[in-house]
Amino acid sequence: MDYFFDKPIANFATRRVEAEEKVTGKGKYSAEYDFPNLVHGVFVGSTIPSGKIVSLDLEEAKSIPGVIDIITHQNRPEVPGLKGDDAKFMFKLFHTDNIFFDDQPIALVLAETLEDATYAATFVKAEYSESNFNTNFHKTKDSQEPEDIMAEKGSLESWEKAEFIVDQEFKIAMEVHNPMEPHATIANWKDDELTLYDKSQNVYGVQSQVAKIFNIDPDKIRVISEFVGGGFGSGLLVWPNTIAAAMASKHLNRPVKIVLTRPQMFTNVGYRPESWQRFKIGADENGKFLGAFHQAKHATSSHTGHTDNITGLTRKHYSFPNIKTEQAQIQLNISKPTWMRGPGDASGAFAIESAVDELSEKLNMDPVDLRLKNLSKTDMYGKPWSTNYLNECLQIGAERINWKQNRKSIPGEIKEGNWNIGYGMAVGFWNAGRKDSDAAIEMKPDGSIVVRSAMTDIGTGTGTAMQNMAHTFLGLPKEKISIELGNSDLPYAPTQGGSWGLSSLSGGVAAACKSLKTKLADYAYGSKFIKGQGNLKLLKLDAKGIRMEDDSLEPVSYESIFSQNNIQVINIEESSSPGKEAEEYGFCSSAAHYVKVKVNQLTGDIKVLEMVSVADGGKIINNKAAANQIIGAAIGGIGMALMEEQKFDNNHGRLIGNDLAGYHFPCNADAPMIDVSFIDKPDYNRNPAGAKGLGEVGIIGCAAAITNAIYNATGKRMRDLPVTPDKILMA
Amino acid sequence: MKINHSYSRRFFIKSSSAFAALAFIPLTVRSFFNEVKEKYFVKKQKIPLSVSINKKEYQLEVDTRTTLLDLLRENIGLTGTKKGCDHGQCGACTVHIDGDRNLSCLTLAVMLPGREITTIEGLADGDKLHPMQEAFIENDGFQCGYCTPGQIMSAVACVKEGHTGSVEEIKEYMSGNLCRCAAYNGITKSIQQIAT
Repeated sequence: MDYFFDKPIANFATRRVEAEEKVTGKGKYSAEYDFPNLVHGVFVGSTIPSGKIVSLDLEEAKSIPGVIDIITHQNRPEVPGLKGDDAKFMFKLFHTDNIFFDDQPIALVLAETLEDATYAATFVKAEYSESNFNTNFHKTKDSQEPEDIMAEKGSLESWEKAEFIVDQEFKIAMEVHNPMEPHATIANWKDDELTLYDKSQNVYGVQSQVAKIFNIDPDKIRVISEFVGGGFGSGLLVWPNTIAAAMASKHLNRPVKIVLTRPQMFTNVGYRPESWQRFKIGADENGKFLGAFHQAKHATSSHTGHTDNITGLTRKHYSFPNIKTEQAQIQLNISKPTWMRGPGDASGAFAIESAVDELSEKLNMDPVDLRLKNLSKTDMYGKPWSTNYLNECLQIGAERINWKQNRKSIPGEIKEGNWNIGYGMAVGFWNAGRKDSDAAIEMKPDGSIVVRSAMTDIGTGTGTAMQNMAHTFLGLPKEKISIELGNSDLPYAPTQGGSWGLSSLSGGVAAACKSLKTKLADYAYGSKFIKGQGNLKLLKLDAKGIRMEDDSLEPVSYESIFSQNNIQVINIEESSSPGKEAEEYGFCSSAAHYVKVKVNQLTGDIKVLEMVSVADGGKIINNKAAANQIIGAAIGGIGMALMEEQKFDNNHGRLIGNDLAGYHFPCNADAPMIDVSFIDKPDYNRNPAGAKGLGEVGIIGCAAAITNAIYNATGKRMRDLPVTPDKILMA
Repeated sequence: MKINHSYSRRFFIKSSSAFAALAFIPLTVRSFFNEVKEKYFVKKQKIPLSVSINKKEYQLEVDTRTTLLDLLRENIGLTGTKKGCDHGQCGACTVHIDGDRNLSCLTLAVMLPGREITTIEGLADGDKLHPMQEAFIENDGFQCGYCTPGQIMSAVACVKEGHTGSVEEIKEYMSGNLCRCAAYNGITKSIQQIAT
């Protein structure tokens, strides 16, 4: 256990550090930096899903007033990482005449104004030789057998004759992240240095990949993502807008801005792939799980791979003596999928948690009790959980929605007019990861500090968490602590993703705070200060100076520390890494979701009336932001369950309704007020703050909780997401 | 008489599906359309515009194709108003025109002489935040903050319109403003707090 935490972090419910910039519109998102001489770039996408560009007619487009140039595969500046067989990007953007998916960027129109570029883009004409294509996942998925994704545990045969078996198939439609801020980049080359204002979750990731693609020193690239308008996974990788803006800026020697249109957000920055699953589960007459057989297939692009580990969850939260998991990726002429909130597990949980609900009915057992009976005591490698409070999540959630009282075990028992009422539940689970992360602190003579990290804040409240942690570690009042983040000039941080952001960052902030304390004690007390955990713990930073909590040494003001030692500033930078704790323990976050729905018998309309989520995210650093995460994830779960679906026109290989009128995610009225609570117990084995990630676990299991509630309301098992009203009526 | 300048999300779903249907009309009709476009659509024209934004008078030369949203963001540096879809589907670009909420992405700048526009930058009274801005901070009515200016402009209008009778009513009248982070609890609570 780290020495800081005899007194755990207070559960601050604070204003976000960047709150004022967000409510006044002053915060600058990537497309909002002002440059004189700025060039606007607009992509032209292919109108076929597969084939070759035969010719391009740019004459008319170039004649449009304001157009500066048009970049295509015929005239692009050569970029080393985009040519040859070992191209370092998902496809050879503007370095190939091959078309791999519909709306693949084939030209970038560069003009003096956005209107000029947008208008001119409509005049770019391409002739293609079209190849056969296939965008139909469900028609194609049987062509490929799934293969073991991990070694089989036990055997399938050993539970073949289990008394209770559920064996079902599940489908989930393609979902698109659609953060509210469209992906955007401003690229500016000056001499041999490149600055990128980029919508990204990972400034160092962008820096290193762009460096590889352009074959330049990463130190020559600055990436700034100070305000990021949501991500959900779409900002984890580098996408065409970043590469094209850099290419164009180099070409024109001017700053270039590219902002994707909303339809382009469906083809250029990833999505959660469409999937099929088969889940078979067996139990004995006491409800003890005997085995699981989980098969999954999902769509991916033909030009570059992607794997969603959909079957991974089967080995995590329940204890199965026998497990077999198989997967296949089905290659289609579609754009690249990527990780989306709760990648793999959100899909897998729908099958697992639906099947467990069905099993509970066969067993005539309460689904909560059945889960409690089968929770895993160890991780998949047999290591004990460091902390795992899923059982408490289940119990607290059941109390909050009054499960025992409200939920009827026979479906369709509660009716109000044409509406059927039902209750359902399911659980979520996610590895609680941690990565290397640095942090720096600068202190001024007035005792104010700046805490710095390159970590991005994608709405997660990262900056506020940094402030809360520094305040707790040091004692310094929060108004003296300011934050800088989201910039590759700042100390290293991993990507804000995978729910490891705060967990990783807490290590860096704790190390820097400890180092600052040591330095201040050196300056103030010299050899009088006996270094050691106990004394460092007693050392507190007040508004005006430092003191020992036990008054063993005289308080010293910052002013005198700085003047006596003749210094103007104290600079600290520290690194942190996970230790060997992962060799001893398994780490997880978990959640239980309880839902009340009503389903209209005549129209098939479904309304989520209540939603209770209880999550174990270790120590909660900021109640408000953490609750907000879980609220957002739960509502994301409503979207996944009831409305989110991106369809293909398989005759033309193109998307249908690819905008926010065609692709529905929940609006305010689609969601009830979500009831969130936390276990709020620290896991100090994981990191000095005792915090575990929360971003993913809130959505995992939500869809199944909702479909289980729909079953409880109607007696209809819905295994094909999203559950739109037509599916209810046809079931 | 009070003219309602706001449009429902449903209206745009309907109208954009009508345009989507155009994609399926025969090629001959399309080439005819292209010829019409060639002939009648003015490629680029700038006209003078006097407009009042956040109580400041602007004398501008604007491209006739420029939306109010792009005028704000690209021409006069008021980037607080956000572009989420450019098609009236998300509400991120909501501003007030003569005190009513409007979608700036569906408003051409040239339509605005004599109108009074208020953006998120003009909502606070100097350094003193508007009570709705304070309420959003207090109730954590946002995460990433990108839809927030539009939410706040809509929220202020929602209170003014009197659509705050219940949680359900607030949710209904705030459903033209999408939030992918889904900070809807906080948004709804902020409005409740200001309305009561």
